[in-house]
Amino acid sequence: MSSGKPKIVCFMCNWVFCDETQLGINQKHRIPFDVNTVRVMCIGRIDPVVILETFERGADGVLLIGCTPPDCHFVEGNLYAERAVKLLKKLLALTGLEPERLELRWSSPIEEVKFIQILNDFVVQIQKFGVSPLARERPDEKVLLNILAAKNAAADFRLRVLTGREKELTENMNVYGEKISQEEFNALIDEIVKVEFIRQKIHLLTRQKPLSVKELAVIIRMKPALVLRHIVDMRRKGMIALDHVEETTPLYRALEV
Amino acid sequence: MAITNSTCVKRKLPPCRVACPAHVNVQGYVSLIQRGQFREAVELIRNDMPFPAICGRVCFSPCEDACVRVNLDQAVAIRALKRIVADIEREQGRVKPKPIPKTRIEKVAIIGAGPAGLAAAYELAKLGYPVTVFERMPEAGGMMRYCIPDFRLEKFVVANEIAYIKDIGVEIKTGIEFGNDKTLESLRNEGYKAVFVAIGTQLSRKMNVPGEDLEGVIHVLEFLRAVSLGQHVDVGERVAVIGGGNSAIDSARTAKRLGAKEVMILYRRTQNEMPALPHEIEAAEREEIKFHFLVAPKRIIGETGKLKAIECLRMRLGEPDASGRRRPIPISFSEHQYEVDRVIPAIGQIPEKSCIPAELLDEKTRRALIPVDQITMETRIPGVFAGGDIVTGPASIIQAVGAGKQAAVSIHRYLTGQDLKAGREEVEETTWVKDWESLRKKSRRYEAPIEKPRLSFEEAARFLEETKRKAMFEAFRCLGCGPCSECLAETDFCEEDKAVVDENRCSGCNICAIVCPVGAIKKNEEGVAQVNEDLCKGCGICAAHCPERAITMRRFTDENILSYALTALRRDDLL
Repeated sequence: MSSGKPKIVCFMCNWVFCDETQLGINQKHRIPFDVNTVRVMCIGRIDPVVILETFERGADGVLLIGCTPPDCHFVEGNLYAERAVKLLKKLLALTGLEPERLELRWSSPIEEVKFIQILNDFVVQIQKFGVSPLARERPDEKVLLNILAAKNAAADFRLRVLTGREKELTENMNVYGEKISQEEFNALIDEIVKVEFIRQKIHLLTRQKPLSVKELAVIIRMKPALVLRHIVDMRRKGMIALDHVEETTPLYRALEV
Repeated sequence: MAITNSTCVKRKLPPCRVACPAHVNVQGYVSLIQRGQFREAVELIRNDMPFPAICGRVCFSPCEDACVRVNLDQAVAIRALKRIVADIEREQGRVKPKPIPKTRIEKVAIIGAGPAGLAAAYELAKLGYPVTVFERMPEAGGMMRYCIPDFRLEKFVVANEIAYIKDIGVEIKTGIEFGNDKTLESLRNEGYKAVFVAIGTQLSRKMNVPGEDLEGVIHVLEFLRAVSLGQHVDVGERVAVIGGGNSAIDSARTAKRLGAKEVMILYRRTQNEMPALPHEIEAAEREEIKFHFLVAPKRIIGETGKLKAIECLRMRLGEPDASGRRRPIPISFSEHQYEVDRVIPAIGQIPEKSCIPAELLDEKTRRALIPVDQITMETRIPGVFAGGDIVTGPASIIQAVGAGKQAAVSIHRYLTGQDLKAGREEVEETTWVKDWESLRKKSRRYEAPIEKPRLSFEEAARFLEETKRKAMFEAFRCLGCGPCSECLAETDFCEEDKAVVDENRCSGCNICAIVCPVGAIKKNEEGVAQVNEDLCKGCGICAAHCPERAITMRRFTDENILSYALTALRRDDLL
């Protein structure tokens, strides 16, 4: 952001896409210069990992634009995007980036005015936060580590299965005939997001060099007992292994999954 | 390209397209309208048939009857959309198409410049044949030009569509009568290798009641034709129109416009059995045209050679007849009279037998229609094809266009020595929308129009912007229920993107099958996800949700999306 302009990536659904020719009907509506648009078939196409990677590569803000519910060319693709964004905001809050750097907005191809308004509002919103710590000459290492951990967490099997099945689990019943309320489900997701984020962070840290529980506890600012609990779980899952023992302190090393 | 669509190659199509006799790519142009590409939409319609503006006005729209959306609220107003895009194109000025080069030497003659003849000429010209259309009337267009009154179909609209056909290189010779000026023999001598006979049904059916030859009885086609030609027609003060079809309604409304004080329509069945389009009947009712149902004329009474009254019998409905409608049975001694100045019988049309070469006719059939092969449109003489009303009896424009297209395919095959019948089976219909319950659960944004959707956009030209907006909104009601690649919208963008499963990575968790909106992914016996490419529309929701990230899209992979996003980021640095 050397020129003082925020770098904004806007993913938008093919079916709400307003291109310049279409907006050209009304010359006063223009896509703000700072916004770079990427068109996808459906906003539900956007994988959380892709969004986190966009942040990692230095985007100041990411805006998703989908069709206004209940309309979606693919029935419910926009609602899937909504769930993904909900999850991503939780992850972003853990990384130290402002969750408001990511927004999901609804529009439709016949609402050019609203469409431009959304973009302009988002530019203002991002200007408030300023340049992303990852877009500087030397990216903030802590945030970078956090984003990488979040990216791995978003690629995690458990989390993805749950988000994919959210509608099924909360609206219908699972195979045991139990129905999970939305609140229960949200609590579950919150828990898993936190746990998964910490574990991925430990995994990333121990990949660089073997670390002890105490060292890890200092870096991620957590009680050593809790860190140890995660390490036990991770060892069971085959994510981490004992490297060697220095005096009486065991040092752990990440395993490639 | 268009010609392959019309050959009805066995492929899957959405219901609207299957229902259309000319198989116009409805889903395609509706989705182009969704994104405001009106010109492209018209071009897409023209791929399949040359009359977007005409059909947008007077088609009986079987596509709307087939529309799947009807299960949710109401059918998409397909015909109104077609009219709007065609009108917008005409208002803004049509780009004159380049004549298609004549790449073939076999000359083709087409008799009759009605919808069937012109559609066949259009398709053949696109294939590069030198085509000549012979027309008896001073202007081309057939029934569209001469028998549909101005208030339903303006003459300049017809002229514009025909100008397009002329522009691409079809030669139309008017004022030449088949049977007199040209015969099959003379055409063959002039070097025409194939002939398509589409002369239509040009005579009004007679009622065969006493007094039908009185002055003041004017038959429907003669009446409408005279009005179209601008001749003076005295309709008197009180007019009775006999019949319940569209032409009966047309003549009643025309008579009203010509100054008749009282116009009544006499029909021998009830309103439910009327073949006229419902919204036409409504329009007639709004114009204060009286309907008398269950009456049939018995005789027409004249005084000193002038018409005075029409005597009718009351009817009751009996058992259903061959057409599925209940047969009217006269009630004895129920004679009653209506005092009228003019009687317009509009009870049907019959072909002009004198025009048809005797060798084409079937001696056994009562009606003078030309018997043809139902698929190939070939008559008993090789190289001579027939289609349209002359084969089916009076029908609709779009059916005639469909017949013309089929005949064009046959003529092309005949002239290139291919088998006429091979591979021309019926099309298969498909739609992904089976799960109505889940769609019904959504509260839809669109409210059902108060009026019939077919009347949604009346003032097309005047409120262009508003109209465009409305059209896009209406087009958005389309569920896109056909298979992918049917919409043709932005083919450069999607290019039939399909999901691809990496079978080694698939863990069989079934998430993809849950999230897939069109039910295109199913697990096979081994528990590996399989993509049904007929249904997959390339939305990529499965790829975004696959826990093992085993699904990728053929074109828009995660890496591609990311690289687009990153190029977008780098653009800033370059400046």
